[in-house]
Amino acid sequence: MNLLSVGYRLAEVTVDKPTGVLGALATGAEDFIKVFNKGGSVLLSLMGGILPTLVVLLTAVNALIRIIGPEKIENLGKAAARPGIQWYPVRYIILPFVAVFVLTNPMAYTMGRFLPERYKPAFYDSAVSFVHPILGIFPHANPGELFVYVGIATGISQLGLGLGDLAVRYLLVGLVVIFIRGIVTERITARMMSKKEA
Amino acid sequence: MASVSSVLVKIGRSVGGVVGTLYQAGRDSVDTVIRNVIPFMAFISFIIGLILTTGIGDWIAKGIKGSASSLPGLLLISIVCALPVLSPLLGPGAVIAQIVGTLLGVEIGKGNIPAQYALPALFAINPQVGCDFIPVGLALGEAEPETVEIGVPAVLFSRLVTGPLSVVIAYLASFGLYSSAK
Repeated sequence: MNLLSVGYRLAEVTVDKPTGVLGALATGAEDFIKVFNKGGSVLLSLMGGILPTLVVLLTAVNALIRIIGPEKIENLGKAAARPGIQWYPVRYIILPFVAVFVLTNPMAYTMGRFLPERYKPAFYDSAVSFVHPILGIFPHANPGELFVYVGIATGISQLGLGLGDLAVRYLLVGLVVIFIRGIVTERITARMMSKKEA
Repeated sequence: MASVSSVLVKIGRSVGGVVGTLYQAGRDSVDTVIRNVIPFMAFISFIIGLILTTGIGDWIAKGIKGSASSLPGLLLISIVCALPVLSPLLGPGAVIAQIVGTLLGVEIGKGNIPAQYALPALFAINPQVGCDFIPVGLALGEAEPETVEIGVPAVLFSRLVTGPLSVVIAYLASFGLYSSAK
């Protein structure tokens, strides 16, 4: 009984408080591997959580786009080139949305070729600003940069909250922002072009 | 007999076409995931592991808690990211935005940043989107060199206005988002 308790106490001392250089090394090694164990479990949860859904979604949308044919959206590009206030929403909301959805990042910017030179910077600004807001609902558009959205969304899911609301609002606010961005950049471009000519 | 076999050939061809398309789509998506998504996941997992196990997380939390959980703080972040000198440097591959997004996500998960700030934060960390890519993007749109010359500064200056503006819009749009989770 006495021996046992001594042994127990000894074990307790050596396990709980490793002392000296070796002890410090042991603690260091444990802390070191702890970082990667945690990272590994995060990786596993990401790969088990969003990856299968992403693969299936990517496949479905890729197939859809292949069946429809990306060249079908060219007419929209031509319509967006028209001057006049009623074509602003087409140029800076509908065209960027469809281009980013169908052609994805970075080929979406090729739709700029249907527009006159003075609209090109504004269209680029509008389209490139939409490659992240679309990720919440259509991650196929820019899977390489998924974590702009997923990074923050992970925190929301950790709190046990649903992501649908955030994803929809991100998309809608994104559409408003790219519209404003298109108009502002178009104005700035126009001013800079006229200054250069003068 | 000839017509029957021609119908069969037609059916076979179209079914083969659809299956081929689906198969190719699957191949493309797996390719994208392996090439672009999983490497980034590995990298992000390492950073999250580092944040969660070491004291770095607390240190970051102290640094960003004040700025990321108030409108003026988020505006400040967006203005810094939109500075025409900084924005092309912060842009490439959206790496900075993805890392900062992940950091903020960790802090939101811990409850250090209120959940309803997720929406304005998504815009605050990203006014530099595509600023590194303007000449290439314009070239893809077959723009003239003169247009590129004007387009680059035009987009950069526009961001200085629209970057903070997007944060304000997102802030207004975030009313009612996760409001019970305060």
